[in-house]
Amino acid sequence: MGAMIRARDWSGTEFGPIADWPQSLRSALSIALRSPGGAAIFWGPDHRFLYNDSWAALLGQRHPWALGRRADEVLVDIWPGLEKQFQHAFGDGEAVNMVDTLLERNLGGVRFASWWSYSLLPIAGEDGRIGGVLGQARETTDSVLRRQRDALMVRLGDRLRLLDEPGDMLAAALDLLAAEMGVARLGYGEIDEEGRTIDILACACSGSGGLDDISGRYSVEMAGNDFHAVLGRGETIRIDDVAADSIMSADGLAERYRGLGIVAALVVPVISAERYRAMLFAHESHPRRWQDGEQALLRAATDQLWREMSRARAQRALTHSEERYRRIFEQANDVILTADLDQVITDVNPAAASLIEAARESIVGRSMHEFLTPHSSDQARQMLRQKLDHGGTTHHELRLRSSSGRLMTWEINSTLTLDDRGEPVGLHAIARDVTERRVAEERQRLLVNELNHRVKNTLAVVQGLALQSFADGRDPAESRTAFQQRLAALAAAHDLLTRESWEGATLSELIREAVGHLNAQEERLTIEGPDATLGPKAAVSLVMALHELATNAAKYGALSRTGGKVEIHWRIDAERLRFEWRERDGPPVARPERRGFGLRMIERALAADLGGTVAIDFAPAGFACRIDARLTGSGGGLKE
Amino acid sequence: MSLAGVRVLLVEDEAIIAMTAEDMLDELGCTTVATSSNLADAMAATEASDFDIALLDINLNGLDSLPVADRLREAGLPFVFTTGYGAAGRSHAHAEAPLIAKPYQLHDLEKAIREALGR
Repeated sequence: MGAMIRARDWSGTEFGPIADWPQSLRSALSIALRSPGGAAIFWGPDHRFLYNDSWAALLGQRHPWALGRRADEVLVDIWPGLEKQFQHAFGDGEAVNMVDTLLERNLGGVRFASWWSYSLLPIAGEDGRIGGVLGQARETTDSVLRRQRDALMVRLGDRLRLLDEPGDMLAAALDLLAAEMGVARLGYGEIDEEGRTIDILACACSGSGGLDDISGRYSVEMAGNDFHAVLGRGETIRIDDVAADSIMSADGLAERYRGLGIVAALVVPVISAERYRAMLFAHESHPRRWQDGEQALLRAATDQLWREMSRARAQRALTHSEERYRRIFEQANDVILTADLDQVITDVNPAAASLIEAARESIVGRSMHEFLTPHSSDQARQMLRQKLDHGGTTHHELRLRSSSGRLMTWEINSTLTLDDRGEPVGLHAIARDVTERRVAEERQRLLVNELNHRVKNTLAVVQGLALQSFADGRDPAESRTAFQQRLAALAAAHDLLTRESWEGATLSELIREAVGHLNAQEERLTIEGPDATLGPKAAVSLVMALHELATNAAKYGALSRTGGKVEIHWRIDAERLRFEWRERDGPPVARPERRGFGLRMIERALAADLGGTVAIDFAPAGFACRIDARLTGSGGGLKE
Repeated sequence: MSLAGVRVLLVEDEAIIAMTAEDMLDELGCTTVATSSNLADAMAATEASDFDIALLDINLNGLDSLPVADRLREAGLPFVFTTGYGAAGRSHAHAEAPLIAKPYQLHDLEKAIREALGR
């Protein structure tokens, strides 16, 4: 700079020819030119400006235009703040020393904040009056912003730590950052999995420049593909003025931004797990020269915000998941229990507590073996051993007792619980009480068995009826009729057995059932006696026996001839049933040489099943059969 | 070898089945010396009657006839079980005794009696 100053012809300026410059100016200039930092001389009443190489660098394109010009011309954007300080130095002759002072710059319409440490030292001329000022200046914007950033990050951390809702965290962070940076709009958006849409979750707006909250879902194409490609690489987008930015030149993007009122923008991405997940953006309605420090601040704050929000979301997801599974656990009809590897119970659900008939608190901490039967206890140990050796799930049935001693059968699916390294730390089991099902199955088995027995017995009875009915020498047609009638009587007797209300089958009903096949006229049959009811087996025997008596009467006895009659009487006498079947006015009775099946059956079945004696009387006046049976007692088939 | 003259105690609660069995035994030449239709009568008959073999229904009016089988074994008398339950109804305590399932036929009965008598 020294050469440039010497080479210039100063004769037509306020400085005058350089040879005439006072010694004080020369000395001061010499000091300024040799200063390593920015140094300048402001000389004379107009504070004309001479500067060194370092200051020339600060001036950028305005060098060398600025050389020799008035301070209020050169420092036009910050002059309002400096004018008083210059008056102080020139008028009062006192040095001015400023540290980290904010100077709002505005160069060609681009505004930005900058911080400076500077001094103004009065220079006395030969006449003893202040001729000029030696100015020294150093920009401290970066260090000031770094300190501010550090302080802000601490405040942001403090704010976020107090919150647990991701939405609240976002709002707090945006408010803090927007106020700190003094931007018109600060917003945060997240990119969907496919990278197709961006969901702007929140904005903080200062209200200036007509930039409003733009929360909502947008296609990523709206901001241009290049735009998100840059962010996707993890790079920051920094636009001081959309009109002058290369990324804005494509697809009429600049016009679109200006249409939205956005003139300057600073956008930082969040890259997590190698994917572009979110972005934080600052919008300004006028050109703004973004500072490196602001960019760094936004990046650091965005990273922290993302981390904290992710943690809060994971925590919420975990909490929700735990609540959901807790509800399933609480409401399951099946038993759910957990235990450690010593098979000490660590938790049970209400279904388990209800079956065990004890409160959860009194079950937890006790060994499973306290509830299991000895055999099941061994089985549970074996199953645990199997799981430890081979892994997987065991499926088995255990017998256990409730607190009140009720024996239960549980069907249990049990699996080992593993820690993060895959080491078993306990077991969890889902069980179902199958006690009633097993009892029902056993009852079913017995019923089927019993049914089989009865059917086989009945078939044996049918076999007996067939063998007797079709005995050698009988007329085949007669045999068939006899067999069919006997089967019908047996069927009728079984109907009686399965009647819904056995109590209603009285003796007279049974008799009518047994002789029903005769179709005899009313006056030929007399049925008389007090009401009494019979046990099932006795009833079947009586029906079968009376059927044989009636059949005999129709074939050979009183009912085989016109005018013949059958009288059926009974009475109850000192706990005994005295029953009589008497035939009258029939053909002469002859004692048969060999007793047929019917009579043998009557004697045998009634004697056995009614627990009494049977007397058959072949009196010439008419056949008679008398039954004398106990009405009550162990062997008695009758009951009142 | 004929079964003629073999004396049989018949224990059967169903009269018609008992009569059929008696007729079958008759056909085989056996003599039915007594027929019992309940547990108490059957127990008494093992003492009172003189017989070579018993035909024993497993279920007597819902009661198990096992005590009769025990008594017969004590006395060293052979017996044949009859049952409507099939092989599943057999008592494990008397697995050596032949068992015939109802309804049985003449030759089933004959075979079982021969087996029990060792003939």
